[in-house]
Amino acid sequence: MKSHFRNYSFYLLPLLLFIVAAIPAAAQQLTGQVTDAANPGQPIIGASIAWKGTTHATTTNANGNFTLTFPDSLTSEIVVSYVGYVQQIINVAGKQSVIVTLQPNSNLKEVVVEGQQTRYSALTTTNSQIITTRDLEKSACCNLAESFETNASVEVSTTDAVSGAKQIQMLGLDGAYTLLTTDNVPALQGLATPFRLNYLSGTFIESIDIIKGMGSVLNGYESISGQVNVKLKDPEKAERLYVNLYGNSQAKFDANVNIGVQVNKQWSTALLLHTAQLHHRSDRNNDGFMDLPLNSQYNVYNKWKYSNGNWVSEFGVNALREDRLGGQMDFEKGSELYYGTTSETERISGYNKTSYTFDGKPYQSIGLISSASHHEFDSKYGRREYDGSQQNANLRLIFQSIIGHTGHTYKAGLSYTYDDVEEELAGAVFKRTEHVPGAFLEYIYNNLSNLTIVAGGRADFHNLYGTVFSPRLNVKFDATQNTIFRLAAGKGFRVANPIAENTASLVSSRNFVFTEQLQPEEAWNIGGSFTQYFELGGRPGAFITDYYYTTFRNQVVADMYSTPNQVRFYNLDGRSFASSFQAELQYEVLKGFDVKAAYKYYDVQATYNGDLRRKPMIPEHRFFVNLGFATPFDKWRADLTTQYFGIMPLAHAGTHHSAELAEKSDAFFVVNGQISRAFKRWELYSGVENLLNYRQPSPIVGASNPFGPDFDASMVWGPIAGRVIYAGLRFRIN
Amino acid sequence: MNKLKVLLLSMVLALVSIVATQAQNNNQQTIKIKTSAVCDMCKTTLEKAMAYEKGVKSSSLDVDSKMLTVTFDARKTDANKIKKAVTAVGYDADELPAQDRAYNKLDDCCKKGAHQ
Repeated sequence: MKSHFRNYSFYLLPLLLFIVAAIPAAAQQLTGQVTDAANPGQPIIGASIAWKGTTHATTTNANGNFTLTFPDSLTSEIVVSYVGYVQQIINVAGKQSVIVTLQPNSNLKEVVVEGQQTRYSALTTTNSQIITTRDLEKSACCNLAESFETNASVEVSTTDAVSGAKQIQMLGLDGAYTLLTTDNVPALQGLATPFRLNYLSGTFIESIDIIKGMGSVLNGYESISGQVNVKLKDPEKAERLYVNLYGNSQAKFDANVNIGVQVNKQWSTALLLHTAQLHHRSDRNNDGFMDLPLNSQYNVYNKWKYSNGNWVSEFGVNALREDRLGGQMDFEKGSELYYGTTSETERISGYNKTSYTFDGKPYQSIGLISSASHHEFDSKYGRREYDGSQQNANLRLIFQSIIGHTGHTYKAGLSYTYDDVEEELAGAVFKRTEHVPGAFLEYIYNNLSNLTIVAGGRADFHNLYGTVFSPRLNVKFDATQNTIFRLAAGKGFRVANPIAENTASLVSSRNFVFTEQLQPEEAWNIGGSFTQYFELGGRPGAFITDYYYTTFRNQVVADMYSTPNQVRFYNLDGRSFASSFQAELQYEVLKGFDVKAAYKYYDVQATYNGDLRRKPMIPEHRFFVNLGFATPFDKWRADLTTQYFGIMPLAHAGTHHSAELAEKSDAFFVVNGQISRAFKRWELYSGVENLLNYRQPSPIVGASNPFGPDFDASMVWGPIAGRVIYAGLRFRIN
Repeated sequence: MNKLKVLLLSMVLALVSIVATQAQNNNQQTIKIKTSAVCDMCKTTLEKAMAYEKGVKSSSLDVDSKMLTVTFDARKTDANKIKKAVTAVGYDADELPAQDRAYNKLDDCCKKGAHQ
């Protein structure tokens, strides 16, 4: 007993001494200075210093100095943070003054830990998901359409059974309502819509951010359901050489080469090359039509980056050419005997982003973003000719600073958009030229611990449609470190391109009828999400659920219900809404074995000719299960994704006298899988799409008489091509 | 007789495999390399890169001491090659400095001094 006591006292004595020593310090204050590691000696103004785990905080003054009284709690660690810098936690036990040097964090990206599934970001104010390079490698090569295969929030659907056009869908709304950006510059809008998912190769992409619901006003007024931002390879970090070759059982071949060069200390460049070729006709469902259109694409992207101290500038040029030919097996270009679709597209675009960060004020910067594009296509759908060209230019100036300290930041700016669109459909010409100057302001409040509010608004002065005001609000509240609530609300506005957004109906006997002057679309979107991160058995997981409701004040309704041989376009008269619910669970069940399961419910309705009806081709229920397996260090990887699509309402063209035309689709499953083996520089992969070989029975109605009144290839709700097996290889030199 | 043959054969095989394992063990070497790795993310990156190096059996980085312990097959690689591989990932390896391009590509939190 006695020896025990002696043992205790042995430890107690220093502890007592320590407490005694700490008492005088506790009565005083901690003083110090925060300096910038990038500019030695330069103080950082407005940095936040807080006692860890408390709200007891202060900020640095104009000389970078601070004074912090000691808290009641017994923590001896301070958290020093500043926007754009790496946060530091320092133990100041026994110290009365301290000098803290913060390292700049030039790119405020979240650390994506290797081995993790597509994650929901814990940092962003919006409900965001990141698809990393690692996730991209799990899907079949090589374009944006395939990049969402292992993601539950975005769906990709084929619009018709002939042309091969694909669209993304988010929150139950067409891709047109989702803002697509590359490096946060709006891209592939307007007339590029029908085939735009083919215009970005998966090998160009570093990662993809998916933002659900209303985002920032900075990127314009157009987004309604959300934003998909594609981050292209960063010249500074791109591989020196990256080669990806791909081939599949349909005789589609892709070749991709990326070259990265650090020219000198300031300049770096990345040259991204992509080609896709399909020249083999196949008709496995024996309807006389090719299952997939023939396709030939050449795509070149060249990015340059200049960074020198406070200046960073990025340039990019993209040029592409694509030819497509789909239709009956014997169709040749120019043939009038057989039904077919052809399209030739040429596109060139460029952008520049330049930003300057003020000396000693890393929170203050000014940036200029400019972009321009030329898009031109000639296409033919049966006997209907559809040609178009679009010239677009965009200019944005953004100034960013703080009010007092980093708890209050704001971004303000001016923008100008020029859009010249000309389309010709079967002899009728549609033209418009838009000039839209605008101004925007976004205020960000941050209580430095668990609440962020982003309130933004923009006013745009449209030469055709007058002044448009778009307010938006995002709130993020971290109830605990692992429990996050988010709220997003706001208004979006866009000028529809009804033909380009409904090319599917061109592949049917329907006539395009415009019954009135179409007005811009305007919608409110409000929604929220709940994210719970957890750890079970030492392995991480997350549960995310969200609900979004979009209601249109005006919409360009594409009415296929009212008149069987027409698609009628008119302004919404009545209600149109989309409500979307999603629940998703991600968990690493065993070391290296990830499971992701999601359920989605959609209720999308619009008023068609006075009747509120469900929108065609949107299933009410969907399930998604992704199983991912990886051996240590990703040497072997295997992935299996199962998707269930519920019943969808259809709207058939034609005279409807044949009773076999179903009003609804079937429910079905699609299973995709892939396996890959990595070596130091090589990687081999092989996979299968549509493993169960499910095919929509007779996807083309009236296939035997394509020029007749009952022809309709637009009611495509399931896979057409059946099972596809592919294999490929990647080679990289870092 | 037949059974005896099988028994004998299996005994010989067992002996050969024991000898072979020992030979392998004899060729196995362990080195410690002082690196410039500073965080858990560096640990993941570095250990992954090592796993793809020819002849490397196992590796482990102690973040606090920045010491990387690598066990390798001396017939397939050597200490110099391993150190070079470490520099190619962007970290110093003892006296060898990190390769510039690789270092620049590291995440900010993995750069030298990011956690001082």
